[in-house]
Amino acid sequence: MNFWRQTAVIAVKDLRAELRSKEAINASISFALVILLLFNFAFAEWADQVREVAGGLVWIVWAFAGVLILNRSFARELANDCLDALIAAPLPSSALFLGKALANFVLVVAIELVSLLVFGIFYNVRWTQQFWALMLVIGLTTWGLTVVGTMFSALTVNLRLRELMLPMLIYPIMIPALLGAMEITNALMAGKPLDGDLLTWLRLLIGFDVIFTALAVALIDTVLVG
Amino acid sequence: MIEARNFAYMFYGFTAAWVILALYVVTIARRESKLKQELARLKNIVEDRERK
Amino acid sequence: MRDKVLYGIAILAAALLARNLYLIFLQLPDEAAQGAIYRIIYFHVPSAITAMLGFMVAGAASGIYLGTKNLRYDAVAAAVTEVSLAFATVVLVTGSIWARIIWGVWWTWDARLTSMFVCWLLYAGYLMLRSAVEEPTQRAKFSAVLSLFAFTDVIIVWKSIEWWRNLHPGPVLSIRTGGGNMDPAMESMIYMNLLALVLFATVLVMVRMRQEEMRREISSLRQLALAQ
Repeated sequence: MNFWRQTAVIAVKDLRAELRSKEAINASISFALVILLLFNFAFAEWADQVREVAGGLVWIVWAFAGVLILNRSFARELANDCLDALIAAPLPSSALFLGKALANFVLVVAIELVSLLVFGIFYNVRWTQQFWALMLVIGLTTWGLTVVGTMFSALTVNLRLRELMLPMLIYPIMIPALLGAMEITNALMAGKPLDGDLLTWLRLLIGFDVIFTALAVALIDTVLVG
Repeated sequence: MIEARNFAYMFYGFTAAWVILALYVVTIARRESKLKQELARLKNIVEDRERK
Repeated sequence: MRDKVLYGIAILAAALLARNLYLIFLQLPDEAAQGAIYRIIYFHVPSAITAMLGFMVAGAASGIYLGTKNLRYDAVAAAVTEVSLAFATVVLVTGSIWARIIWGVWWTWDARLTSMFVCWLLYAGYLMLRSAVEEPTQRAKFSAVLSLFAFTDVIIVWKSIEWWRNLHPGPVLSIRTGGGNMDPAMESMIYMNLLALVLFATVLVMVRMRQEEMRREISSLRQLALAQ
């Protein structure tokens, strides 16, 4: 079977598994909604100014909700020794990794879009002004989050404190990408177009994605197989 | 007045730097003795078993 | 032999530190704008350089470990990261004290302090991961992978936070005197103390490395003891 076909098979399998039970999606969406609610209490008197920092806030919601999905990625395979079976299968680790990363990407983006809708309504933020630019940023940043998160999910899958370790490891690594995403999203939500300084941040996001995807694909074999 | 406060903080700063490093050295030393104890204990167990 | 080298370096480091401290307090003049507090830079800056050098060495050691699978390099990476983390703590705390006097606040999101804090979090995570994995070879592999990710990230972090600070200017922890250039005597003292701290760090790393090897010996002895 060709590499991309194998990747697709894994991606479809993961998506199907998740859509069947919906446990991670439900937890993630609920979590996102609760954080959005809490923001309301936190920023009560500053409701107007919230719109100005909307870009930053929304990425905090997405980063936290996204990690819930990423945690499940390899953890789901622990039952019935599925993980061992997958590793033993005639499947390159990189295909397994990319397949899972793709599935995670789709799930996290779905969650982001749903919570974006809710966010726009709750905080009266007009995020459609720069729609395609916003989609681009969401795509790029989420891919970075997914690649790093899926990698660390593999790393921490067998550890006792998996749920604690994964966020602790992911967020510091994600800081440059989240920083760039927040800067761009803040501007986009205020209606500004994607140019000038923002293009530098965009280049950062692309660079981040390329570098960490390459690093992850190169090292995933060491982590899974040895 | 400012001078005095300035000096005080300078000493706090130096003290802080040294305390942090000293704490680290103490942590290392404690770990060293713990490891040595464990090593000795295990060596005894293995030697006892071999003698038997 | 190794112990002798260790003691030798330790004594050298101690002597140098003593000499430096003497000079710092008694001979170098006060800085024009900042007063006495500026002397903290003789620890703040060299610690920062030591910590960042350390993280680089750790990254390299991790890479070499993955290439050669020689566990000694894993010991190097772990030891150097831990020692660097101690020095990074010194940077953050001394930076904070300095900020308190100069700016009146305990913390400022100055580009360098912020970046150092991110590095601190990354490498604290590395140590947390190490303590969570029991089997030595797996521990070595996982930490090496994390170390490579962390090191790659460090470069991106420093550049991006500096860029971010350019967009949102704020207080800057400056090590320059009012004139913009450092008095040569001051500058050379920074380097002298850097040397002293690096020697100190080397001693700590060597001791720590020996502990890693002890840990591995314990691990294998434990298996032997339990197996019989």
